[in-house]
Formats: sequence, structure tokens, C-alpha cells
Amino acid sequence: MIAFEHVGKRYGGRFEALAHLNFRVARGEMVFLTGHSGAGKSSLLRLIMRLEKPSRGRVVVAGHDIAQLHASQVPFYRRQIGVVFQDHQLLFDRSVFRNVSLPLEIQGLEPREAARRVRAALDKVGLLHREKALPVELSGGEQQRVGIARAVVNKPALLLADEPTGNLDPQLSADIMALFEDFNRIGTTVMIASHDLALIARLRHRVLRLRDGRLVADEGAV
Amino acid sequence: MKRAATPRPSGAAFNKGKRQSAKPPTPSEPSARRGARSQQTRFRSRLRAWGRHHRAMALDSLYRLVRHPVGSLLTMLAIAIALVLPAALWLTLDSAKLLDAELDESATLTIYLELSIDAPQAARIEEAVVADEDVAQTRLISPEQGMAEFQQSLGLDDTLMGLEDNPLPTSIVIYPQSVEPTAMEQLALRLETFSGVDEVRVDLAWVERLRHLADLGRRVALALGVLFGFGVLLVVGNTIRLAVESRRREIEVVMLIGATHAFVRRPFLYSGAWYGVGGGLLALGLLGLGNHWLSMPVAALAASYGANFVLPQLDMTGSTILLSCSTLLGWLGAWLAVTRHLSSISPR
Repeated sequence: MIAFEHVGKRYGGRFEALAHLNFRVARGEMVFLTGHSGAGKSSLLRLIMRLEKPSRGRVVVAGHDIAQLHASQVPFYRRQIGVVFQDHQLLFDRSVFRNVSLPLEIQGLEPREAARRVRAALDKVGLLHREKALPVELSGGEQQRVGIARAVVNKPALLLADEPTGNLDPQLSADIMALFEDFNRIGTTVMIASHDLALIARLRHRVLRLRDGRLVADEGAV
Repeated sequence: MKRAATPRPSGAAFNKGKRQSAKPPTPSEPSARRGARSQQTRFRSRLRAWGRHHRAMALDSLYRLVRHPVGSLLTMLAIAIALVLPAALWLTLDSAKLLDAELDESATLTIYLELSIDAPQAARIEEAVVADEDVAQTRLISPEQGMAEFQQSLGLDDTLMGLEDNPLPTSIVIYPQSVEPTAMEQLALRLETFSGVDEVRVDLAWVERLRHLADLGRRVALALGVLFGFGVLLVVGNTIRLAVESRRREIEVVMLIGATHAFVRRPFLYSGAWYGVGGGLLALGLLGLGNHWLSMPVAALAASYGANFVLPQLDMTGSTILLSCSTLLGWLGAWLAVTRHLSSISPR
């Protein structure tokens, strides 16, 4: 699903955020990405989302060298990836329902079908009863779950998450991780950047460890 | 993982693990036809989605405008004011176009015959004149007719009544084929050689002057139109720039989850068009108001000259043109502003 081939990323010519990255993630795998803040986790996810291009090497997703995508194709590429952000990037001027339906709106899905899928996604994260609420009326954990619902509402084959449990207490974090495991169980490839080592250790999935932009460990690989 | 030759990610390629294994394609004839049909329905549904988004964004942007009535109205008023001046000048030119027709008509030559010429002789001379290939039409004016027209146009009944004899000669008004100054002068020279012709009058100078004046007016109106059109672009552009700035976060988020530039641009383009529509309607209102405000004194002034002059008004066509121009300008201003600012917004 994802292949990094000799990938390096420099910012401003000198600072090397990522270097010599080589790894593969198979379809249907669930992978954690760990390391100190500044180790390059977010940069790596940004490369997969094609928010940035690598300075060296190739990033191949679903068989495509994504650096070669034309700017006009990038939006269509991003629609096939669900992304959960640490600050969940919800829009505060619209309801939970409309936040979750945003990706479907962008794709131009027929409203009735879209509503069905939004409710299914909200049901999955246990927030069906809050569909009319505004994001500010929700707790941090609930907001994050809305973010997850939005990421999975168009059934992406690849789900990325950047510190999805960053601001949550251990119990809520465990709940969120369980959600990701559920999605992984139905075939979604999941990649989660997190520095919550205790939680990761409990979950027993493959872990990619980054330090100063380099891959220092690849544990539990299948 | 297999590497595809083309970089375009299609949904099928992306999901080949799940979906294609569930529904394996059979390369038989009916399935190919089904494929064509499903492609057609997919195109149709995409077209419907596109139309749906357009409708939604048109309403959404209108709603946003209505929610901030004062700000929207000020922008529209600025557009209206920028449109009124060139439009008013255009109207003046339009009435000058009426003048233009009169101008062509007044590009005539007048032959004054000698006083000794009587009516049958005058008719023969007219026949000879009509025979000239440069003459389109003639009109014979007998001394009596001439006197009547003279009295009518000057309102000097009493003075002329005092005259015992009619001092006017028979005259022939000639409408030439060509109103070219040189052609008219040559024709005049030729007509002067006819026997019985006392004098040929060509008054070209003022015709020419009016022509130049009309040309000047047209150019000034065009220049003003272009300048104020730019003004409208700037007004709308600035308003839309602020709107984009205030929705920057929303734009970043939707671009993160795969919105195309067209999708992001759409609501702003509609806002710009709405501003244009509002500005155009206000401009029409202002023109009507100005017409009403000026019509009384203008009518009074014209009446004092014994003329019947009505201020020109925008007709249906003119109003439609003004409204479409302002809408188009609003749309274009928005397009320029959004396109310029989208490149500076990249999702974090």
C-alpha cells in the first residue's frame, strides 16, 4: 500500500527532516509511527498526503509515485485517504453532521446517500445522538471522534492519524485506538503517528520508530 | 505492489484489493456494454452533483451576503456608482445617435435658383439635377413653401407679413449619394455650372464638427467605461479577498480532504456575481432616479426653445447589457481575487 524508497526531505536546504527512509506497509496492515516530537513523524505523514514532495527518493502509494501526480490530480488522490489530525481540524461554524459530510459534499455524493453514510460513520464512533450539535459543544474526546468519523465516511482504503490521542486521557485514548483497530479489521490500512509508547506497546502492532528523521527500528513486522 | 504506468490514481486501482476481487470483470460483450452504460450514468450523476453544488453555493453565498446587509450594500453601492457615470455617458451618446441620423440628413446641398426662374423652369432644372449620378434625391421648395417653413421655424409671422413681395427664390434641396466632404464639394462645383442656378450652399464645416464631437464623446465614454470597469474589479476583488481571508481555515480544511480549486472557488465566484447583480440593479435605480431628478428642468429648458426633448432612458436591452456587464465584472473580480489568494493558501 505504501512504499518509501530512499526517501529524504530537507527544509530550507539545510535542515534534514527525513533521511534514507526505506519501508513498506502492506494493504490491510496497521502500523504505529513513533519517536520524539521533531523526529519526523508528521513530515512522513505529510509526504504520504502529498502535502509535500520528497527531496530525494520516491513515495509510492497504491502503486503510484505520488510526486508525479499533477497538481490537478492531487485533490482526487487525497479523497482516497482518510486523515485524522491531532487538532482534528473541524469547522466550528457547522454542525457535527455537516462536518462529517464534508468529504462526501466535496465528492458530490447524492444527499440522501451521503446522509446515510454520515449517520453510519457517526454511529460507528458512537456520536449519532450528537449529529446536530456544534463542535464547540463537544468534549475533546468527542471532537476527536467526529474527526475520525469524517476521515472514514467515504470508506478510504488508507487511514492516517497524526497524534490522534495527543490531548486525551488514557481511557479515551484506548477507546480511540480500539476504533482504529475496528477499521483495520475490515481491511483498511491504518498508519498512526503517536508518542504514547505505553498504549502502543499494549496494542501489539507493527511499530516504526523514527529518530532524527531516520528509521531506527521496525518492530513486530509481519 | 505493482507500479502502474499512468500516475492518475483511479478509484478502481486504489481499491483493487477489495472491490475488484468481489466483482471480477468479465471481458464479454454485454459487460462491455454495461460498462459504457454505467460510465454514462456516472457522468450524469457527476453532472447532477456539479449542478447541486452550484445551486447550493449560489444560495449559500447569497445567504452570506444577506447576513451582512450593510457591508454588502456598501460594496454594491460602490459598484453602482462606478457604473452610473459611464452608463449615463452611454445614454447621452445614445441620444447623440439620434442626432447622428439627423446629421446625415442635414448633410445636404441647397441650390438657390435665380429669382427670374418660374415653376416649370424650376421643375426642368430639378430633372436635370436628379439625372446626376451623385444625387440620391431632391426636394423642390417653391418660394411660397420656403416662406411658410421660414415663418414656422422662426416664429416671425408679423415681420414677414409686412413684406409685400416674397423675397425668397425657388430652392432645391439635394440629398447626395455620398456624404463624403470631397464628393459633396465636387457635386457642388458641378451643380453651379447649371443654367438658372444662382448659388449652391454646402455647409459642411458644422456637420464635420459635430461628427468629431460625437467621436470624442464615444472615446471618452469608452475610456471611462474601461476605467470604471477596472474600478468594479478592484472593489469586488478587495471584498472577496477579505472573504477568502476570513474563511482561510475552512479552505485549508477542505483542501486537506480533497477539495479541488474549482470547489473552493465556487462560493466566492457566486458572491462576486451577486455583488455584481446588486451593484447593477442599484446602478439602474440611480439612473432612474437621476432621470427623474433632471427631467423637470430639462423639459422646461427645452420648452423654452420650443423644442420637445425628453431625457434618454435605458431601455430593456440597455438595462440587460448593464446588468450582465456588472454581473460579469463581479464574477471576474472574484475570480482574480480568489485565484491570486488560493496559491498562498496551502493546507498545513
